[in-house]
Amino acid sequence: MAALPQLIEEDIDQLNAVLSDLLTQSEAAGGLVIDKGGFLITQCGALQSFDTTTLAALSAAAYAATQTIAGLVSETNFSCVYQQGEQHSVLIQNVDENCLLLVIFKASASVGAVKYFAAPAILKAAEQLRIAERRDPSAKLDLSTLNVADTSSLFRKRVA
Amino acid sequence: MAIINQATKELQIKIVYYGPALCGKTTNLVQVHSNVQTNTPEGKGKLVSLATSSDRTLFFDFLPIEAMAIKGFKTKFQLYTVPGQVIYNTTRQLVLRGVDGIVFVADSQYDKMAENVESFGNLEDNLKSLKLNLADIPYVLQYNKRDVADAAPMDYLEYLLNNREVQVPSFGACAHKCDGVFETLNMITRLLLHKYINESGRKVA
Repeated sequence: MAALPQLIEEDIDQLNAVLSDLLTQSEAAGGLVIDKGGFLITQCGALQSFDTTTLAALSAAAYAATQTIAGLVSETNFSCVYQQGEQHSVLIQNVDENCLLLVIFKASASVGAVKYFAAPAILKAAEQLRIAERRDPSAKLDLSTLNVADTSSLFRKRVA
Repeated sequence: MAIINQATKELQIKIVYYGPALCGKTTNLVQVHSNVQTNTPEGKGKLVSLATSSDRTLFFDFLPIEAMAIKGFKTKFQLYTVPGQVIYNTTRQLVLRGVDGIVFVADSQYDKMAENVESFGNLEDNLKSLKLNLADIPYVLQYNKRDVADAAPMDYLEYLLNNREVQVPSFGACAHKCDGVFETLNMITRLLLHKYINESGRKVA
């Protein structure tokens, strides 16, 4: 399985710009770019009332489950997952091999409009991820600055 | 796959607790959630359990958690469990997607040895289906339920599950008392960070 490219500030800025444009055009409440393993990469919009970390994990799982269902019914691909609610609706769309786009929008809004504006946003996001993949590897994060000696008690049990 | 976000100086890592049914995978996460010390309330996320009405894991349990700050790096761990029952194998494959590290939880009861071995083999098979190899993934073993009357000796569990060219760290545990839970978690996080530091000269995300 291909790995997600490392993301630098420029990538995140570009992905945020893509999300921001999408939200403006579609009047959606929020957008998230997430990794298919369940990680939140970046988010944009009025999402303060949502637990976006968990949203990302569950959305990736829901999308993966949908892909498995697609295989069972001999479909090569179900490219999106859509759930209409009473207040908010959710659309999860494939971006590329590694990433998904999650859009949260008012239930009264048209999913057709959201899908229409999401299509070019997905292309732009995928292109940015390709750019990240092709970038000079010297742009990597230097993990050697982590102090390994300190990692033996990363998680501490609370004292009663 | 771990995500390194240079813009926010965040490292996100996925750890999956794997093992046979009723071995204590969910109990591990419940204990971590209940007892972990975090610097801020936001450091510990909600424990999400996608379970049946009888509290058996249906899809997965999920606990996002931030480690103590390491030199300014925000290190976020996402802990998942898989459903242990045999029928949920497709679900286990889904949860394993993007895994960085594995905690294999074995049940110490004598009559669970065959299930332990079968589950371990199933883990290797499922990783292969994702084009992954267990030998390339940091993992640790936890021998849970050490407090039951018919617990098999640790040496026997080691012989069954850790009898390889390269032995991995293993821990006895009583997850319901939180014994061994943090030792196991800290070891897998340590192995993972070592791996990424060692790979930092190459492609790391």
